[in-house]
Amino acid sequence: MSQDLNIKVHHLTRVEGHGNIVVNMKDGVLEKAHLSIVEPPRFFEAMMKGRSFHEAAIITSRICGICSLGHQITSLVATEDALGLEISEQTELLRKLLVNGATLQSNVLHAYFLAAPDFLKVGSVFPLIATHKDVVLRALRMKRLANDIGDIVSGRAVHPITPVPGGFTRIPEKSELVELKRRLLEEALPDGIATIETMKSLAGAIPQFERETEYISLKHPDEYALYQGDIFSSDSGAQDVHNYLDVTNEFIVDHSTSKHARFNRSSYFVGALARWNNNHTQLVPEALEAAEAMGLKPNCYNPYMNTIAQVVEAVHVIFDSVRIIDTLLEKGLKNEKPNQTPTRYGRGIGSNEVPRGILFHDYTYDKKGSIVEANCIIPTGQNLANIDDDMKKLVPEIIAKSKEEITADLEMLVRAYDPCISCSVHMLDVDFIE
Amino acid sequence: MKPLTVIGIGNRLRGDDAAGPMVIDGLMELNDPQVELIDAGSDAIGLLEYLNDRNRVWIVDACSMAKSPGEVVKFRPDQVDMLLKNDLQNLHGLGLAEALKMATELKMLPKELMIFGIQPQALEFNSAVSSSVLTAIERLVHEIHNEIQEVGDNS
Repeated sequence: MSQDLNIKVHHLTRVEGHGNIVVNMKDGVLEKAHLSIVEPPRFFEAMMKGRSFHEAAIITSRICGICSLGHQITSLVATEDALGLEISEQTELLRKLLVNGATLQSNVLHAYFLAAPDFLKVGSVFPLIATHKDVVLRALRMKRLANDIGDIVSGRAVHPITPVPGGFTRIPEKSELVELKRRLLEEALPDGIATIETMKSLAGAIPQFERETEYISLKHPDEYALYQGDIFSSDSGAQDVHNYLDVTNEFIVDHSTSKHARFNRSSYFVGALARWNNNHTQLVPEALEAAEAMGLKPNCYNPYMNTIAQVVEAVHVIFDSVRIIDTLLEKGLKNEKPNQTPTRYGRGIGSNEVPRGILFHDYTYDKKGSIVEANCIIPTGQNLANIDDDMKKLVPEIIAKSKEEITADLEMLVRAYDPCISCSVHMLDVDFIE
Repeated sequence: MKPLTVIGIGNRLRGDDAAGPMVIDGLMELNDPQVELIDAGSDAIGLLEYLNDRNRVWIVDACSMAKSPGEVVKFRPDQVDMLLKNDLQNLHGLGLAEALKMATELKMLPKELMIFGIQPQALEFNSAVSSSVLTAIERLVHEIHNEIQEVGDNS
Protein backbone atom coordinates (compact mmCIF):
# COMPACT_ATOMS: atom_id res chain seq x y z
CA MET A 1 0.00 0.00 0.00
CA SER A 2 1.29 3.42 -0.88
CA GLN A 3 1.77 6.30 1.51
CA ASP A 4 -1.50 7.84 0.35
CA LEU A 5 -4.78 6.32 1.41
CA ASN A 6 -8.33 7.48 1.03
CA ILE A 7 -11.16 5.41 2.36
CA LYS A 8 -14.75 6.47 2.39
CA VAL A 9 -17.25 3.82 3.22
CA HIS A 10 -20.65 5.31 2.63
CA HIS A 11 -23.55 3.22 3.65
CA LEU A 12 -25.94 4.44 1.08
CA THR A 13 -29.14 2.99 2.26
CA ARG A 14 -32.20 5.10 2.53
CA VAL A 15 -32.25 4.50 6.23
CA GLU A 16 -30.84 7.50 7.98
CA GLY A 17 -28.41 7.24 10.79
CA HIS A 18 -25.82 4.99 9.29
CA GLY A 19 -22.14 5.41 9.98
CA ASN A 20 -19.64 6.34 7.33
CA ILE A 21 -16.00 5.45 7.81
CA VAL A 22 -13.60 8.15 6.63
CA VAL A 23 -9.83 7.63 6.55
CA ASN A 24 -7.34 9.93 4.93
CA MET A 25 -3.58 9.50 4.82
CA LYS A 26 -1.13 11.68 2.94
CA ASP A 27 2.59 11.05 2.52
CA GLY A 28 2.42 8.46 5.26
CA VAL A 29 0.81 10.84 7.73
CA LEU A 30 -2.67 10.06 8.97
CA GLU A 31 -4.83 13.15 8.55
CA LYS A 32 -8.22 11.71 9.31
CA ALA A 33 -9.64 8.48 10.70
CA HIS A 34 -13.13 8.55 12.03
CA LEU A 35 -16.60 7.19 12.03
CA SER A 36 -18.89 9.96 10.94
CA ILE A 37 -22.43 9.60 12.06
CA VAL A 38 -25.41 11.13 10.41
CA GLU A 39 -28.04 10.73 13.02
CA PRO A 40 -31.50 12.06 13.49
CA PRO A 41 -31.40 15.28 15.51
CA ARG A 42 -31.74 14.96 19.23
CA PHE A 43 -35.32 14.16 19.90
CA PHE A 44 -35.37 12.63 23.33
CA GLU A 45 -36.28 15.62 25.45
CA ALA A 46 -38.91 16.84 22.99
CA MET A 47 -40.50 13.41 23.02
CA MET A 48 -40.54 13.10 26.80
CA LYS A 49 -41.56 16.60 27.89
CA GLY A 50 -45.05 16.73 29.37
CA ARG A 51 -45.39 12.94 29.61
CA SER A 52 -46.69 11.41 32.80
CA PHE A 53 -44.66 8.95 34.80
CA HIS A 54 -46.94 6.17 33.61
CA GLU A 55 -46.01 6.84 29.98
CA ALA A 56 -42.25 7.42 30.15
CA ALA A 57 -41.09 3.79 30.03
CA ILE A 58 -43.58 2.83 27.32
CA ILE A 59 -42.37 5.62 25.05
CA THR A 60 -38.68 4.96 25.62
CA SER A 61 -39.19 1.26 24.97
CA ARG A 62 -40.26 2.21 21.46
CA ILE A 63 -37.19 4.26 20.58
CA CYS A 64 -35.47 1.22 19.22
CA GLY A 65 -36.62 -2.29 18.36
CA ILE A 66 -33.34 -3.89 19.34
CA CYS A 67 -32.67 -1.91 22.53
CA SER A 68 -36.28 -1.80 23.68
CA LEU A 69 -35.98 -3.55 27.04
CA GLY A 70 -32.83 -1.70 28.08
CA HIS A 71 -34.54 1.66 27.60
CA GLN A 72 -37.70 0.46 29.29
CA ILE A 73 -36.03 -0.81 32.47
CA THR A 74 -33.62 2.13 32.71
CA SER A 75 -36.54 4.52 32.29
CA LEU A 76 -38.41 2.83 35.14
CA VAL A 77 -35.37 3.13 37.42
CA ALA A 78 -35.03 6.85 36.59
CA THR A 79 -38.72 7.48 37.27
CA GLU A 80 -38.63 5.60 40.58
CA ASP A 81 -35.53 7.55 41.63
CA ALA A 82 -37.26 10.83 40.79
CA LEU A 83 -40.53 10.00 42.54
CA GLY A 84 -39.14 8.10 45.51
CA LEU A 85 -40.87 4.84 44.60
CA GLU A 86 -39.39 1.87 46.44
CA ILE A 87 -39.53 -1.48 44.69
CA SER A 88 -39.69 -4.94 46.24
CA GLU A 89 -37.01 -7.59 46.14
CA GLN A 90 -39.26 -9.65 43.87
CA THR A 91 -39.54 -6.78 41.39
CA GLU A 92 -35.77 -6.40 41.37
CA LEU A 93 -35.26 -10.12 40.75
CA LEU A 94 -37.80 -10.17 37.93
CA ARG A 95 -36.13 -7.15 36.33
CA LYS A 96 -32.74 -8.82 36.55
CA LEU A 97 -34.22 -11.83 34.80
CA LEU A 98 -35.49 -9.55 32.03
CA VAL A 99 -32.12 -7.83 31.68
CA ASN A 100 -30.44 -11.25 31.45
CA GLY A 101 -32.83 -12.24 28.67
CA ALA A 102 -32.12 -9.06 26.72
CA THR A 103 -28.36 -9.54 27.17
CA LEU A 104 -28.56 -13.14 25.99
CA GLN A 105 -30.57 -12.20 22.94
CA SER A 106 -28.47 -9.28 21.80
CA ASN A 107 -25.07 -10.82 22.53
CA VAL A 108 -25.92 -14.05 20.73
CA LEU A 109 -27.35 -12.31 17.68
CA HIS A 110 -24.36 -10.00 17.45
CA ALA A 111 -21.88 -12.86 17.72
CA TYR A 112 -23.62 -15.03 15.13
CA PHE A 113 -25.13 -12.54 12.68
CA LEU A 114 -22.44 -9.86 12.60
CA ALA A 115 -19.17 -11.14 14.03
CA ALA A 116 -19.19 -14.72 12.71
CA PRO A 117 -19.61 -13.59 9.06
CA ASP A 118 -16.66 -11.25 9.66
CA PHE A 119 -14.51 -14.00 11.10
CA LEU A 120 -15.44 -16.30 8.20
CA LYS A 121 -15.04 -13.46 5.67
CA VAL A 122 -18.35 -14.17 3.99
CA GLY A 123 -19.74 -10.64 3.98
CA SER A 124 -23.03 -11.24 5.77
CA VAL A 125 -25.07 -13.82 7.61
CA PHE A 126 -26.91 -14.95 4.47
CA PRO A 127 -24.18 -17.19 3.01
CA LEU A 128 -24.01 -18.92 6.39
CA ILE A 129 -27.57 -20.17 5.97
CA ALA A 130 -26.36 -22.44 3.17
CA THR A 131 -23.03 -23.44 4.71
CA HIS A 132 -23.78 -23.43 8.45
CA LYS A 133 -27.53 -23.81 8.73
CA ASP A 134 -27.32 -25.54 12.11
CA VAL A 135 -25.40 -22.58 13.51
CA VAL A 136 -27.95 -20.04 12.23
CA LEU A 137 -30.79 -22.14 13.63
CA ARG A 138 -28.98 -22.34 16.96
CA ALA A 139 -28.71 -18.55 17.04
CA LEU A 140 -32.43 -18.22 16.34
CA ARG A 141 -33.25 -20.85 18.97
CA MET A 142 -31.28 -18.90 21.58
CA LYS A 143 -32.93 -15.67 20.51
CA ARG A 144 -36.31 -17.30 20.85
CA LEU A 145 -35.62 -18.54 24.37
CA ALA A 146 -34.36 -15.10 25.32
CA ASN A 147 -37.55 -13.62 23.86
CA ASP A 148 -39.63 -16.08 25.83
CA ILE A 149 -38.01 -14.84 29.04
CA GLY A 150 -39.33 -11.42 28.06
CA ASP A 151 -42.71 -12.86 27.15
CA ILE A 152 -43.16 -14.62 30.48
CA VAL A 153 -41.88 -11.80 32.67
CA SER A 154 -42.87 -8.66 30.79
CA GLY A 155 -45.45 -9.49 28.15
CA ARG A 156 -44.64 -8.51 24.58
CA ALA A 157 -46.03 -8.21 21.06
CA VAL A 158 -49.13 -10.21 21.84
CA HIS A 159 -49.75 -9.14 25.45
CA PRO A 160 -49.89 -5.91 27.44
CA ILE A 161 -46.54 -4.76 28.75
CA THR A 162 -46.31 -5.56 32.47
CA PRO A 163 -43.24 -3.72 33.87
CA VAL A 164 -44.43 -0.37 35.24
CA PRO A 165 -43.05 2.17 37.72
CA GLY A 166 -43.00 0.51 41.13
CA GLY A 167 -43.30 -3.11 39.98
CA PHE A 168 -45.22 -5.38 37.62
CA THR A 169 -48.89 -5.47 36.66
CA ARG A 170 -48.68 -9.23 36.33
CA ILE A 171 -46.46 -11.69 38.18
CA PRO A 172 -45.44 -14.83 36.27
CA GLU A 173 -46.92 -18.16 37.35
CA LYS A 174 -44.74 -20.60 39.25
CA SER A 175 -45.25 -23.18 36.49
CA GLU A 176 -44.00 -20.70 33.87
CA LEU A 177 -40.78 -20.12 35.78
CA VAL A 178 -40.27 -23.84 36.37
CA GLU A 179 -40.63 -24.45 32.63
CA LEU A 180 -38.30 -21.56 31.84
CA LYS A 181 -35.66 -23.00 34.15
CA ARG A 182 -35.98 -26.37 32.44
CA ARG A 183 -35.48 -24.77 29.03
CA LEU A 184 -32.51 -22.72 30.23
CA LEU A 185 -30.81 -25.90 31.43
CA GLU A 186 -31.90 -28.28 28.68
CA GLU A 187 -31.92 -25.96 25.66
CA ALA A 188 -29.99 -22.75 26.30
CA LEU A 189 -27.08 -24.37 28.10
CA PRO A 190 -26.19 -26.94 25.38
CA ASP A 191 -26.59 -24.17 22.79
CA GLY A 192 -24.36 -21.93 24.89
CA ILE A 193 -21.69 -24.61 25.11
CA ALA A 194 -21.93 -25.16 21.34
CA THR A 195 -21.56 -21.40 20.87
CA ILE A 196 -18.30 -21.44 22.82
CA GLU A 197 -17.03 -24.21 20.53
CA THR A 198 -18.07 -22.27 17.41
CA MET A 199 -16.41 -19.07 18.60
CA LYS A 200 -13.31 -20.98 19.68
CA SER A 201 -12.98 -22.34 16.15
CA LEU A 202 -13.26 -18.80 14.74
CA ALA A 203 -11.02 -17.08 17.27
CA GLY A 204 -7.97 -17.39 14.99
CA ALA A 205 -9.60 -14.90 12.62
CA ILE A 206 -9.83 -12.16 15.26
CA PRO A 207 -7.39 -9.37 14.38
CA GLN A 208 -4.51 -8.94 16.78
CA PHE A 209 -4.84 -5.29 17.65
CA GLU A 210 -4.47 -3.71 21.05
CA ARG A 211 -5.09 -0.24 22.39
CA GLU A 212 -5.38 0.21 26.09
CA THR A 213 -8.07 2.74 26.92
CA GLU A 214 -10.32 3.72 29.82
CA TYR A 215 -13.01 1.11 30.49
CA ILE A 216 -16.27 2.31 32.03
CA SER A 217 -19.12 0.14 33.26
CA LEU A 218 -21.36 -0.24 36.25
CA LYS A 219 -19.98 -2.08 39.26
CA HIS A 220 -22.09 -3.80 41.90
CA PRO A 221 -20.73 -4.97 45.26
CA ASP A 222 -22.49 -8.36 45.13
CA GLU A 223 -22.75 -9.40 41.51
CA TYR A 224 -21.68 -8.94 37.90
CA ALA A 225 -23.38 -5.61 37.29
CA LEU A 226 -26.02 -5.52 34.58
CA TYR A 227 -28.85 -4.01 36.64
CA GLN A 228 -27.76 -0.98 38.66
CA GLY A 229 -24.57 -0.29 40.60
CA ASP A 230 -21.99 2.50 40.71
CA ILE A 231 -20.25 3.89 37.66
CA PHE A 232 -16.75 2.43 37.60
CA SER A 233 -13.79 3.68 35.59
CA SER A 234 -10.69 1.54 35.15
CA ASP A 235 -8.71 4.79 35.53
CA SER A 236 -10.33 6.47 38.50
CA GLY A 237 -12.63 4.03 40.31
CA ALA A 238 -16.23 4.38 41.45
CA GLN A 239 -18.72 7.24 41.15
CA ASP A 240 -22.36 7.47 42.12
CA VAL A 241 -24.62 7.28 39.05
CA HIS A 242 -26.05 10.67 40.02
CA ASN A 243 -22.70 12.14 38.91
CA TYR A 244 -22.95 10.62 35.44
CA LEU A 245 -22.59 13.99 33.69
CA ASP A 246 -19.11 14.32 35.26
CA VAL A 247 -18.22 11.04 33.55
CA THR A 248 -19.83 11.42 30.14
CA ASN A 249 -18.72 15.04 29.47
CA GLU A 250 -20.41 15.08 26.08
CA PHE A 251 -18.86 17.31 23.46
CA ILE A 252 -19.54 18.22 19.87
CA VAL A 253 -17.25 17.17 17.03
CA ASP A 254 -17.44 18.47 13.49
CA HIS A 255 -17.62 15.09 11.72
CA SER A 256 -20.64 13.77 13.56
CA THR A 257 -24.06 15.03 14.56
CA SER A 258 -23.90 12.68 17.52
CA LYS A 259 -22.08 13.99 20.57
CA HIS A 260 -18.94 12.24 21.74
CA ALA A 261 -17.93 11.47 25.34
CA ARG A 262 -14.68 11.53 27.30
CA PHE A 263 -13.67 11.25 30.94
CA ASN A 264 -10.06 10.80 32.08
CA ARG A 265 -8.63 10.43 28.56
CA SER A 266 -9.60 11.44 25.04
CA SER A 267 -12.08 8.55 24.91
CA TYR A 268 -13.45 5.56 26.83
CA PHE A 269 -14.86 2.13 26.06
CA VAL A 270 -18.29 0.86 27.17
CA GLY A 271 -19.81 -2.55 26.52
CA ALA A 272 -19.07 -6.21 27.15
CA LEU A 273 -15.29 -5.80 27.06
CA ALA A 274 -15.42 -2.96 29.59
CA ARG A 275 -17.64 -5.07 31.85
CA TRP A 276 -15.24 -7.98 31.46
CA ASN A 277 -12.20 -5.90 32.33
CA ASN A 278 -13.88 -4.23 35.30
CA ASN A 279 -15.98 -7.08 36.73
CA HIS A 280 -14.76 -10.43 35.41
CA THR A 281 -14.13 -11.83 38.91
CA GLN A 282 -17.90 -11.70 39.52
CA LEU A 283 -18.78 -13.99 36.61
CA VAL A 284 -19.95 -17.55 37.29
CA PRO A 285 -17.11 -20.13 37.05
CA GLU A 286 -18.58 -21.60 33.87
CA ALA A 287 -18.35 -18.19 32.15
CA LEU A 288 -14.75 -17.80 33.29
CA GLU A 289 -13.97 -21.24 31.85
CA ALA A 290 -15.63 -20.19 28.59
CA ALA A 291 -13.47 -17.08 28.50
CA GLU A 292 -10.34 -19.13 28.98
CA ALA A 293 -11.38 -21.57 26.27
CA MET A 294 -11.93 -18.71 23.80
CA GLY A 295 -8.69 -16.93 24.74
CA LEU A 296 -10.19 -13.95 26.56
CA LYS A 297 -7.94 -12.85 29.41
CA PRO A 298 -8.17 -10.01 31.92
CA ASN A 299 -7.32 -7.28 31.09
CA CYS A 300 -7.99 -7.39 27.39
CA TYR A 301 -7.20 -4.34 25.26
CA ASN A 302 -8.30 -5.73 21.89
CA PRO A 303 -11.65 -4.16 20.90
CA TYR A 304 -12.33 -7.00 18.45
CA MET A 305 -12.56 -9.27 21.51
CA ASN A 306 -15.77 -7.47 22.53
CA THR A 307 -17.65 -10.22 20.70
CA ILE A 308 -15.92 -12.91 22.76
CA ALA A 309 -16.77 -11.02 25.95
CA GLN A 310 -20.40 -11.01 24.77
CA VAL A 311 -20.38 -14.79 24.40
CA VAL A 312 -18.87 -15.12 27.88
CA GLU A 313 -21.74 -13.00 29.20
CA ALA A 314 -24.27 -15.14 27.34
CA VAL A 315 -23.01 -18.13 29.35
CA HIS A 316 -23.10 -16.10 32.56
CA VAL A 317 -26.68 -14.93 32.13
CA ILE A 318 -27.94 -18.45 31.44
CA PHE A 319 -26.61 -19.59 34.83
CA ASP A 320 -27.59 -16.38 36.57
CA SER A 321 -31.15 -16.67 35.24
CA VAL A 322 -31.44 -20.17 36.69
CA ARG A 323 -30.17 -18.79 40.02
CA ILE A 324 -32.75 -15.97 39.94
CA ILE A 325 -35.59 -18.39 39.17
CA ASP A 326 -34.47 -20.65 42.04
CA THR A 327 -34.46 -17.66 44.40
CA LEU A 328 -37.91 -16.53 43.26
CA LEU A 329 -39.35 -20.02 43.68
CA GLU A 330 -37.68 -20.50 47.05
CA LYS A 331 -39.12 -17.26 48.37
CA GLY A 332 -42.51 -17.98 46.83
CA LEU A 333 -44.09 -15.70 44.20
CA LYS A 334 -46.13 -12.93 45.76
CA ASN A 335 -49.00 -11.31 43.91
CA GLU A 336 -47.74 -7.78 44.64
CA LYS A 337 -49.26 -4.63 43.23
CA PRO A 338 -46.89 -1.99 41.87
CA ASN A 339 -46.02 0.82 44.28
CA GLN A 340 -47.16 3.94 42.40
CA THR A 341 -47.55 6.48 45.19
CA PRO A 342 -44.86 9.12 44.75
CA THR A 343 -43.13 10.32 47.91
CA ARG A 344 -41.41 13.22 46.16
CA TYR A 345 -41.20 14.93 42.77
CA GLY A 346 -37.86 15.94 41.32
CA ARG A 347 -34.93 14.63 39.39
CA GLY A 348 -34.01 10.96 39.03
CA ILE A 349 -31.27 9.02 37.26
CA GLY A 350 -31.48 5.49 35.96
CA SER A 351 -28.46 3.55 34.79
CA ASN A 352 -28.10 -0.04 33.64
CA GLU A 353 -25.69 -2.08 31.59
CA VAL A 354 -27.51 -2.79 28.36
CA PRO A 355 -25.84 -5.08 25.81
CA ARG A 356 -23.89 -2.23 24.14
CA GLY A 357 -22.75 -0.66 27.41
CA ILE A 358 -23.76 1.72 30.14
CA LEU A 359 -27.04 3.60 29.54
CA PHE A 360 -28.33 6.67 31.37
CA HIS A 361 -31.84 8.09 31.60
CA ASP A 362 -32.33 11.33 33.51
CA TYR A 363 -35.78 12.83 34.17
CA THR A 364 -37.08 15.75 36.16
CA TYR A 365 -40.75 15.61 37.16
CA ASP A 366 -43.04 18.44 38.24
CA LYS A 367 -45.56 18.09 41.08
CA LYS A 368 -48.19 16.68 38.73
CA GLY A 369 -45.89 13.78 37.86
CA SER A 370 -45.12 15.09 34.36
CA ILE A 371 -41.65 15.30 32.84
CA VAL A 372 -40.21 18.81 32.53
CA GLU A 373 -36.65 17.85 31.59
CA ALA A 374 -35.22 14.66 30.14
CA ASN A 375 -31.85 13.40 28.99
CA CYS A 376 -30.65 10.07 27.65
CA ILE A 377 -27.08 9.02 26.91
CA ILE A 378 -26.73 5.80 24.96
CA PRO A 379 -23.69 3.50 24.95
CA THR A 380 -22.91 3.99 21.27
CA GLY A 381 -22.58 7.75 21.73
CA GLN A 382 -20.05 7.10 24.47
CA ASN A 383 -18.07 4.69 22.27
CA LEU A 384 -17.74 6.94 19.22
CA ALA A 385 -14.61 8.77 20.41
CA ASN A 386 -13.09 5.43 21.36
CA ILE A 387 -13.77 4.00 17.89
CA ASP A 388 -12.05 7.04 16.33
CA ASP A 389 -9.03 6.59 18.60
CA ASP A 390 -8.88 2.89 17.69
CA MET A 391 -8.87 3.78 14.00
CA LYS A 392 -6.08 6.30 14.45
CA LYS A 393 -3.89 3.62 15.99
CA LEU A 394 -5.03 0.79 13.73
CA VAL A 395 -4.60 2.38 10.29
CA PRO A 396 -0.83 2.99 10.51
CA GLU A 397 -0.37 -0.55 11.87
CA ILE A 398 -2.10 -2.18 8.90
CA ILE A 399 -1.05 0.30 6.21
CA ALA A 400 0.90 -2.41 4.35
CA LYS A 401 -2.35 -4.21 3.57
CA SER A 402 -4.45 -3.53 0.48
CA LYS A 403 -7.07 -0.80 0.59
CA GLU A 404 -9.79 -3.46 0.53
CA GLU A 405 -8.27 -5.31 3.46
CA ILE A 406 -7.88 -2.09 5.44
CA THR A 407 -11.49 -1.20 4.74
CA ALA A 408 -12.62 -4.66 5.84
CA ASP A 409 -10.61 -4.39 9.08
CA LEU A 410 -12.14 -0.96 9.81
CA GLU A 411 -15.67 -2.12 9.13
CA MET A 412 -15.08 -5.13 11.32
CA LEU A 413 -13.83 -2.83 14.07
CA VAL A 414 -17.01 -0.77 13.94
CA ARG A 415 -19.13 -3.90 13.93
CA ALA A 416 -17.26 -5.24 16.98
CA TYR A 417 -18.88 -2.40 18.94
CA ASP A 418 -22.28 -3.28 17.43
CA PRO A 419 -23.21 0.39 17.29
CA CYS A 420 -26.80 1.46 17.67
CA ILE A 421 -26.63 4.21 15.10
CA SER A 422 -29.93 3.78 13.43
CA CYS A 423 -32.62 3.59 16.03
CA SER A 424 -34.66 4.01 12.98
CA VAL A 425 -37.35 3.05 10.60
CA HIS A 426 -37.06 -0.42 9.22
CA MET A 427 -38.98 0.52 6.18
CA LEU A 428 -39.22 -2.05 3.45
CA ASP A 429 -37.86 -0.74 0.18
CA VAL A 430 -39.76 -2.25 -2.72
CA ASP A 431 -39.43 -2.27 -6.50
CA PHE A 432 -42.32 -3.86 -8.32
CA ILE A 433 -41.30 -6.40 -10.92
CA GLU A 434 -42.82 -5.34 -14.20
CA MET B 1 -53.98 -22.21 15.85
CA LYS B 2 -55.99 -19.32 14.47
CA PRO B 3 -56.53 -19.41 10.69
CA LEU B 4 -54.89 -16.03 10.15
CA THR B 5 -52.06 -13.99 11.67
CA VAL B 6 -51.75 -10.25 11.03
CA ILE B 7 -48.46 -8.61 11.97
CA GLY B 8 -47.86 -4.86 12.08
CA ILE B 9 -44.28 -3.63 11.84
CA GLY B 10 -42.93 -0.17 12.47
CA ASN B 11 -41.77 2.36 15.00
CA ARG B 12 -44.63 4.23 16.63
CA LEU B 13 -42.40 7.19 17.39
CA ARG B 14 -41.50 7.86 13.77
CA GLY B 15 -44.42 9.47 12.03
CA ASP B 16 -45.90 7.28 9.29
CA ASP B 17 -43.74 4.32 10.28
CA ALA B 18 -46.40 3.81 12.96
CA ALA B 19 -48.85 2.63 10.28
CA GLY B 20 -48.26 -1.12 10.81
CA PRO B 21 -48.77 -1.08 14.60
CA MET B 22 -51.74 1.31 14.24
CA VAL B 23 -53.52 -1.08 11.90
CA ILE B 24 -53.07 -3.74 14.60
CA ASP B 25 -54.59 -1.30 17.16
CA GLY B 26 -57.61 -0.83 14.88
CA LEU B 27 -58.07 -4.55 14.36
CA MET B 28 -57.81 -5.21 18.08
CA GLU B 29 -60.81 -2.99 18.67
CA LEU B 30 -62.83 -5.08 16.21
CA ASN B 31 -61.90 -8.16 18.21
CA ASP B 32 -62.09 -10.90 15.58
CA PRO B 33 -61.77 -14.28 17.28
CA GLN B 34 -60.41 -15.84 14.07
CA VAL B 35 -57.29 -13.78 13.89
CA GLU B 36 -54.00 -13.56 15.79
CA LEU B 37 -52.77 -9.96 16.00
CA ILE B 38 -49.12 -9.09 16.59
CA ASP B 39 -47.51 -5.70 17.02
CA ALA B 40 -43.92 -6.55 16.16
CA GLY B 41 -42.66 -2.99 16.71
CA SER B 42 -39.37 -2.40 14.95
CA ASP B 43 -37.68 -5.70 15.73
CA ALA B 44 -37.87 -7.27 12.28
CA ILE B 45 -35.84 -10.36 13.15
CA GLY B 46 -38.39 -11.10 15.85
CA LEU B 47 -40.81 -11.73 12.97
CA LEU B 48 -39.22 -15.08 12.26
CA GLU B 49 -40.96 -16.45 15.32
CA TYR B 50 -44.37 -15.68 13.91
CA LEU B 51 -43.87 -16.99 10.38
CA ASN B 52 -42.98 -20.59 11.00
CA ASP B 53 -45.75 -23.15 11.48
CA ARG B 54 -48.48 -20.74 10.41
CA ASN B 55 -50.83 -21.07 7.46
CA ARG B 56 -51.60 -17.50 6.53
CA VAL B 57 -49.68 -14.44 7.57
CA TRP B 58 -50.40 -10.89 6.51
CA ILE B 59 -47.78 -8.25 7.26
CA VAL B 60 -48.62 -4.55 7.38
CA ASP B 61 -45.65 -2.22 7.01
CA ALA B 62 -44.73 1.23 5.76
CA CYS B 63 -43.00 0.58 2.44
CA SER B 64 -41.01 2.81 0.18
CA MET B 65 -42.69 2.04 -3.15
CA ALA B 66 -42.46 5.30 -5.08
CA LYS B 67 -46.24 5.73 -4.76
CA SER B 68 -48.14 8.69 -3.40
CA PRO B 69 -48.42 8.96 0.39
CA GLY B 70 -51.17 6.81 1.83
CA GLU B 71 -51.36 4.51 -1.17
CA VAL B 72 -51.72 0.87 -0.15
CA VAL B 73 -50.39 -1.99 -2.24
CA LYS B 74 -50.99 -5.64 -1.47
CA PHE B 75 -48.33 -8.03 -2.77
CA ARG B 76 -46.66 -11.37 -2.25
CA PRO B 77 -42.91 -11.26 -1.55
CA ASP B 78 -42.18 -13.03 -4.87
CA GLN B 79 -43.95 -10.26 -6.79
CA VAL B 80 -41.38 -7.65 -5.85
CA ASP B 81 -37.68 -6.98 -5.44
CA MET B 82 -37.01 -6.11 -1.84
CA LEU B 83 -33.90 -4.05 -1.43
CA LEU B 84 -31.47 -5.69 0.98
CA LYS B 85 -29.23 -3.41 2.93
CA ASN B 86 -25.75 -4.04 1.70
CA ASP B 87 -24.02 -3.09 4.84
CA LEU B 88 -25.20 -4.99 7.90
CA GLN B 89 -23.08 -2.75 10.13
CA ASN B 90 -25.16 -3.44 13.16
CA LEU B 91 -28.12 -5.45 14.31
CA HIS B 92 -30.23 -2.38 13.78
CA GLY B 93 -29.83 -2.77 10.05
CA LEU B 94 -31.91 -5.92 9.99
CA GLY B 95 -35.27 -5.06 8.50
CA LEU B 96 -38.22 -6.84 6.93
CA ALA B 97 -36.40 -7.58 3.66
CA GLU B 98 -33.56 -9.26 5.55
CA ALA B 99 -35.93 -11.15 7.85
CA LEU B 100 -37.94 -12.48 4.90
CA LYS B 101 -34.81 -13.50 3.00
CA MET B 102 -33.66 -15.38 6.06
CA ALA B 103 -37.06 -17.02 6.54
CA THR B 104 -37.14 -18.04 2.86
CA GLU B 105 -33.70 -19.62 2.98
CA LEU B 106 -34.43 -21.38 6.25
CA LYS B 107 -37.75 -22.60 4.80
CA MET B 108 -39.64 -20.96 7.65
CA LEU B 109 -42.25 -19.18 5.55
CA PRO B 110 -45.95 -19.72 6.17
CA LYS B 111 -48.07 -21.29 3.43
CA GLU B 112 -49.45 -17.91 2.43
CA LEU B 113 -47.66 -14.62 3.01
CA MET B 114 -49.07 -11.27 1.91
CA ILE B 115 -47.64 -7.84 2.54
CA PHE B 116 -49.83 -4.76 2.78
CA GLY B 117 -47.47 -1.91 2.00
CA ILE B 118 -48.42 1.63 2.94
CA GLN B 119 -46.49 4.42 1.26
CA PRO B 120 -45.41 6.86 4.01
CA GLN B 121 -44.90 10.58 3.71
CA ALA B 122 -42.75 11.50 6.71
CA LEU B 123 -40.72 9.36 9.07
CA GLU B 124 -39.15 11.92 11.38
CA PHE B 125 -38.81 11.05 15.04
CA ASN B 126 -41.57 12.49 17.19
CA SER B 127 -43.67 13.58 14.23
CA ALA B 128 -47.39 12.98 13.79
CA VAL B 129 -48.85 10.47 11.36
CA SER B 130 -49.72 12.30 8.14
CA SER B 131 -53.39 12.68 7.25
CA SER B 132 -53.14 10.63 4.05
CA VAL B 133 -51.61 7.73 5.97
CA LEU B 134 -54.23 8.05 8.74
CA THR B 135 -56.94 7.68 6.13
CA ALA B 136 -55.12 4.68 4.67
CA ILE B 137 -54.85 3.04 8.10
CA GLU B 138 -58.57 3.41 8.70
CA ARG B 139 -59.43 2.04 5.27
CA LEU B 140 -57.01 -0.85 5.62
CA VAL B 141 -58.41 -1.86 9.00
CA HIS B 142 -61.86 -2.24 7.44
CA GLU B 143 -60.55 -3.94 4.33
CA ILE B 144 -58.60 -6.48 6.39
CA HIS B 145 -61.55 -6.94 8.72
CA ASN B 146 -63.78 -7.75 5.74
CA GLU B 147 -61.26 -10.17 4.33
CA ILE B 148 -60.95 -11.81 7.73
CA GLN B 149 -64.68 -12.52 7.65
CA GLU B 150 -64.21 -14.26 4.31
CA VAL B 151 -61.24 -16.24 5.62
CA GLY B 152 -63.34 -17.25 8.61
CA ASP B 153 -66.23 -18.34 6.36
CA ASN B 154 -63.95 -20.44 4.20
CA SER B 155 -61.99 -22.14 6.93
